[in-house]
Amino acid sequence: MDIITSLAIVTLAALVHASFQLSVSVLTLLSGHAIGSKKSHRRTVALTGSFVFGAGVMTLLLLSFFALMFSHVFGNNVTSLIWAICCGVLIGVGLAVWVFYYRRERGTTIWIPRSFARHLSNRSKATKDPAEAFSLGLTSVISELLFIIAPLAVSALVIVQLPTEWQLVGIAIYSVISLLALLIVWVAVGSGHSISRIQKWRETNKHFLQFAAGSALVILGAFVYVNQITLALEGIV
Amino acid sequence: MLHEGGAMTIVKRGGHRPSEDFSKQKLHDSIVAACLSAGTPTGLAEQIGRTVTDAVISWLHTRPEVTSHDLRLTATKHLRTHHPDAAYLYEHHRKIL
Repeated sequence: MDIITSLAIVTLAALVHASFQLSVSVLTLLSGHAIGSKKSHRRTVALTGSFVFGAGVMTLLLLSFFALMFSHVFGNNVTSLIWAICCGVLIGVGLAVWVFYYRRERGTTIWIPRSFARHLSNRSKATKDPAEAFSLGLTSVISELLFIIAPLAVSALVIVQLPTEWQLVGIAIYSVISLLALLIVWVAVGSGHSISRIQKWRETNKHFLQFAAGSALVILGAFVYVNQITLALEGIV
Repeated sequence: MLHEGGAMTIVKRGGHRPSEDFSKQKLHDSIVAACLSAGTPTGLAEQIGRTVTDAVISWLHTRPEVTSHDLRLTATKHLRTHHPDAAYLYEHHRKIL
């Protein structure tokens, strides 16, 4: 696989990651409670900024962990079987996202373990300290691992095939792009946009986001399958 | 006690937590918080908070006991006439996550 194709796969996987909404939901709640409890604008921006930074750090750590694990286990010779498993996971998670991602009720509640959701909800209401907001960012990424594991795994698998200097580029591209949704909401809150308008937009477009994320995962799975298995078997790649 | 003949007891959502006495301040603060989150200036938020709280207290006069869910629905109904965006947040804050 050439470098451009590899980075394109990493970019698409990161966009799928960015379209997942748990961290955005927690950020919305955190911002709403910070503004509602009359915290200063500076304090609100610090809290939400720490949250976004925490989510970014955990994404970076998870991707690096997966990449390190894959490079130790598979090295540079990832077999067709491993790629096929990876494609299966991508397509499976994509179908699951189509069916299960949002709960069938009003609002933007997501199919994650309720204990995680309660913890995130309770702590986002109570957080006063940027350090705790940072830890909430870490936790929110772990809570969504069920869905982000597919784009993370395929990105890690692709990244370990790259030349060393490009591996860092791949990790940086994934980390930055996967944070896009959070960064947009952070900037919107920081520039004074109403939380209710942000949440209304999210609720109105939730089925589109769900369909887009699921479809992108299926398309990514099909692309990787064709690129790594079909063409490899035909001796083209 | 809230007032003569008015509701004092709020039965909490889901029945997992014990009932509690009605707190005017708590209701007022929650409405102000929703207004502030919706981008309302502090003075206007306080004014809406007082107006909606008074309307809810009038409604409570006729009921000896209400659930927190009913209280929220009634507050939302009154808040919607003053600030629809804040009412949306007030009504849906449990359905964000």
